[in-house]
Amino acid sequence: MAALQLDGLTRYYGDVRGIENVSLTVEEGEVFGFLGPNGAGKTTTIRTCMGFLSPTDGSARVLGRDPTDEAEFLEARRRIGYLPSDPGLDPDRTGAAYLDLQTDLKGETRRRELVERFGLPEDRRIGDLSRGNRQKVALVSAFMHEPDLLVLDEPTAGLDPLLQEEFNALVEEAVADGATAFLSSHVLSEVQTLCDRVGIVRNGRLATVERVDDLLERAGKRVRVAVSGAGPRAGERTEGRVEDSLERLTGTHDVRVGDGDPTPVSFTYTGAYDDLVAWLAERPIANLDVRDAPLEDVFLRFYGETDDEADDESAGAGSGEPAGVGP
Amino acid sequence: MNPDDRPPAWLAIARYEAAGRRRGTAVLTGLLSAFVVVFLAFFPAFADSGIDMDAYVEAFPPAFRELFGIITIATVEGFLAVEFYQFAWVILVGLYLAYLGGETVAADVESRRMDLTLAGPVRRRSVVVGTFLGLVPLVLVLNAVLPVVAYLGVLGIGETIAAERLIAVHALAVPYHLACAAIGVLASVLFGRAGIAQRVALGTVFALYMFESLTALTDYDWLGAISPTAYYDPSAILVNAEYDWVGGGILLVGSAALVALAVVRFERADLTG
Repeated sequence: MAALQLDGLTRYYGDVRGIENVSLTVEEGEVFGFLGPNGAGKTTTIRTCMGFLSPTDGSARVLGRDPTDEAEFLEARRRIGYLPSDPGLDPDRTGAAYLDLQTDLKGETRRRELVERFGLPEDRRIGDLSRGNRQKVALVSAFMHEPDLLVLDEPTAGLDPLLQEEFNALVEEAVADGATAFLSSHVLSEVQTLCDRVGIVRNGRLATVERVDDLLERAGKRVRVAVSGAGPRAGERTEGRVEDSLERLTGTHDVRVGDGDPTPVSFTYTGAYDDLVAWLAERPIANLDVRDAPLEDVFLRFYGETDDEADDESAGAGSGEPAGVGP
Repeated sequence: MNPDDRPPAWLAIARYEAAGRRRGTAVLTGLLSAFVVVFLAFFPAFADSGIDMDAYVEAFPPAFRELFGIITIATVEGFLAVEFYQFAWVILVGLYLAYLGGETVAADVESRRMDLTLAGPVRRRSVVVGTFLGLVPLVLVLNAVLPVVAYLGVLGIGETIAAERLIAVHALAVPYHLACAAIGVLASVLFGRAGIAQRVALGTVFALYMFESLTALTDYDWLGAISPTAYYDPSAILVNAEYDWVGGGILLVGSAALVALAVVRFERADLTG
């Protein structure tokens, strides 16, 4: 049984599109990343799956149950650990008072362990806590009853790097114990270590579902390099030399070469690493930064730039059958 | 934790809500206690002024007497009824409870706190009922402490008052206050924004009070029956010892009906704050 199954899920806010025709399946034991820029429809999808919003069209099955049927969905909710994107915790109450309420509502098996692990100052007013600590309260609440399905909306927003590692470990442990995780983010690098597959949502539509490894390979690296002397070590100084050499290097995109010495050069690279290293070795390097290409660049390269294109694509889709999405 | 050890969701929510109001309840009880003592302190000077208060009251326009529920202000019972209960208990506390009720569900939906509550195995019905019940301790504390303060205050100025009437004026205030809170909770479910829900609830209770007072002397007095104030009359209780238990029952049934309406509405609602 799939842990989460969306069939043509659509939600409009009046005339405004929240999400349209989102279909995907998350298998049990899988970690699925739901990626997209802010406002793409990630939260709308998640809140519709949780039964907070009713779908305009299409349907969702969460742990095999229908979120729009309260009686049927009640049992599923006991097995879900949910973290909203911006948990609106009551600032006048303490973390402990809030966790007491959640314990009463759904039970707990590892609250104390999690509070200690995160170093959460439980007895302080939530309003006095830092953003990171507030997020910890919500994280403890989401994990403390050992849920079978984790639904985490932007879980890493507001977490410092140390805490993010702790969070990753927590998800990995839960998944090792048989849980499924569905987590959203607008930053691929924050979730790429956790996720098996990612779905990319843009303007309310699911653009693609891919394995993370495939996506990263296709996305490539953003390379920023400052080249001294702007020529081969041999000393030949010719205008445009850097551009020429980059053209010969396969797998470069969006090449930008600045002025000055050292010359700032940036490009996205999807070629073989050996070739890149060889290219770098040929010239004196003053500075170098190589990181994963930002998700936005991936969108632009693979899925076109304008919303109109996307609208035209789906114009022919019938309302009854869930139309295929993505390229 | 064994699921069987857990309290029902409505009770957990009611307890959480009530615990969050502990300080507010204490402050409000203290302020109103001070208020009744200050008013009582005025009474001796007022009673000894030599003015015929009943003749003075007779001179008021009938609508004015109706609005302020005045039967007499010459006795300590009548004075308390008009100066304190009609104003503080019927209007002030009534409006405040409507205002508090208006904040409940709407503010939780708006801040997405409701997402966290409803992410657990909790029925929406339990949320509305628990939220309403979370206001009950405030009503009970106010109506348990104030009769004691008022009684001691009356003794303190050298007057006497029938304890039975004081107890009745508070016992019958409980259903009235619950009805005001229920109006607030219903508004809170009907309106997505807490600020609007609060203003609507406040405006509704006040408008109903005005409407009931102003229609009371007309041929349309039966229309006033839609207002909670029609079933709670501090002057009648304190001055004439007329206890409208049926009215109290109507208020309780009405409160339950308003909460039920809120449940029906909330069960179908999208949580768009």
